[in-house]
Amino acid sequence: MKIADWLERHAVTGVTVERNASLEEAARALLAEPECRDVYVTDAEGRVVGHLGFRRLAGVLLSAHRPTHSRRQMLERVTGGPVDEFMDRHFISARIDEHVHQVLHPHMERRVEDIPVLDGDGRLAGIIRLVDLLRAAIDPSDQSVG
Amino acid sequence: MEILLIGILLLVGLIFGTLGSHYFGVPRVVGYILVGMLFAPDILGEQLGMKDTEWTQPLVSVALGVIAYVIGGAISPNQLRRLGWSIVGATLGEVSGAFLAVLGAVLLLGMTVADLPLWSFALVLGALAPATAPAAIVAVVHQYRARGQLTTTLLGMVAIDDALGILIFALVMAVVGSGSLGVALGTAFWEIGAALLVGGAGGFVIERLSRRFHEQSMLLPLLLGGIILTTGLAAWAEFSALLAAMVLGFSVRWFCGPHAERLFEPVEDLEETVFVLFFAFAGMHFSPAAVIDYWPLMLTYFLARAIGLFVGGGSGARLAGAPRAVWSNVGFGLFPQGGVAIGLALLLVHQSGFSQAGHVIVNLITATTLLTEAVGAISVRYGLRRAGEIGLEQAGGEAK
Repeated sequence: MKIADWLERHAVTGVTVERNASLEEAARALLAEPECRDVYVTDAEGRVVGHLGFRRLAGVLLSAHRPTHSRRQMLERVTGGPVDEFMDRHFISARIDEHVHQVLHPHMERRVEDIPVLDGDGRLAGIIRLVDLLRAAIDPSDQSVG
Repeated sequence: MEILLIGILLLVGLIFGTLGSHYFGVPRVVGYILVGMLFAPDILGEQLGMKDTEWTQPLVSVALGVIAYVIGGAISPNQLRRLGWSIVGATLGEVSGAFLAVLGAVLLLGMTVADLPLWSFALVLGALAPATAPAAIVAVVHQYRARGQLTTTLLGMVAIDDALGILIFALVMAVVGSGSLGVALGTAFWEIGAALLVGGAGGFVIERLSRRFHEQSMLLPLLLGGIILTTGLAAWAEFSALLAAMVLGFSVRWFCGPHAERLFEPVEDLEETVFVLFFAFAGMHFSPAAVIDYWPLMLTYFLARAIGLFVGGGSGARLAGAPRAVWSNVGFGLFPQGGVAIGLALLLVHQSGFSQAGHVIVNLITATTLLTEAVGAISVRYGLRRAGEIGLEQAGGEAK
């Protein structure tokens, strides 16, 4: 199944924030969409330039409650900064014209739960969630995962 | 037999340290050191065929490389710009204050070890003084839910002062032992220049390679390989391994960008293992005779370091425009000294020209570390309370 078709059946709109947004703004945007686990950071033109996972976001915002810190975590706590100081620039993504089975391997390899699907301009077209892939895989009547 | 002993030191050290901390309220490092003392070559170590501690040297070098990599990668260039003058000023003051105070005090005391000139001995001790123990400070901050400008300043300072400490140590080691000023300058230029070059280029290569390894489990061998290769190259070409490993960390962080977790977390997890070994090795070098013979030196080092940190840190913060609550209390939060200082001291034991001095320095740093671990937490708590930043008292107290 093509990813474009998958997104029609499993429409999940991802959470995006601009790169100069604060971590608190990113957290608010994420919490408003309970089915999403990741925030995608965009430039001024709306192109996705980075990824910020829920655990990373929560880890930084709740760092004061952590009993031990590495030096790196101490400096993150002290210096703070906008989301583009914490995002992963080298995130995996899928293209809308790819096949669904092609995204399964990166899902497993990177241990991520969501994979962003980007259109030809690099803007977010939707999200493929591991939970939906798993649901399709164990459903004998669903052949979309292949 | 070395492998057997390392296993014993790690496991028994961890058990002793945890039990001591749980039942007697003593810092865990006491347990680590005691286990090391127990397995020293002239006690139980001999039963395991250990006649000396020469075999620990490669392990110490690599372990220090790991710590230097973590220290170097702690801060990104953007964070450095955002850190704020008060933290930068206080850190520069603290590091230079501790270095100069110990250097001056040891020179005034005039006490050295037979195989080392007084100036060299004082310089090396001065270079060991700025290192602090972030874990001890974070523990107090967390226990008392401290919040405020002093807390932030302290966390920033102890996260970066070890980097400056390592830089000073590398410079001092490059200079010590060089006969004339010209030779010393040439040696320092090579040691630092080559370390910057190799560490910087190595960081670029490691970061690029890491993009090819998507599985988390592949990153640890890549990173350890990079660190060990860098320290090995440094030993072979005679430039500073510590500085090269630190620059490697900084360079990886630089090229990686903001999301550097995956290239540091696997190595950061090794830090406690490294420190257990460092303290246990320090215990293996423990010599009551050295402590008795050199107690005036140990007392001088302890007091001069405390004064240098207090005056230097406070002055630096004040000059940088920090408020009174910060500059008048920041010195209280810096006393704890730990694994980094012990590791640097262990490096000296098998350094040429340091056969006796290295032994004395390890004992000195071990003794003063125990002292700073004991009074350090009290001192940090006192400073934070004085600044009005203790939010929640121990044992379920209420937030103020």
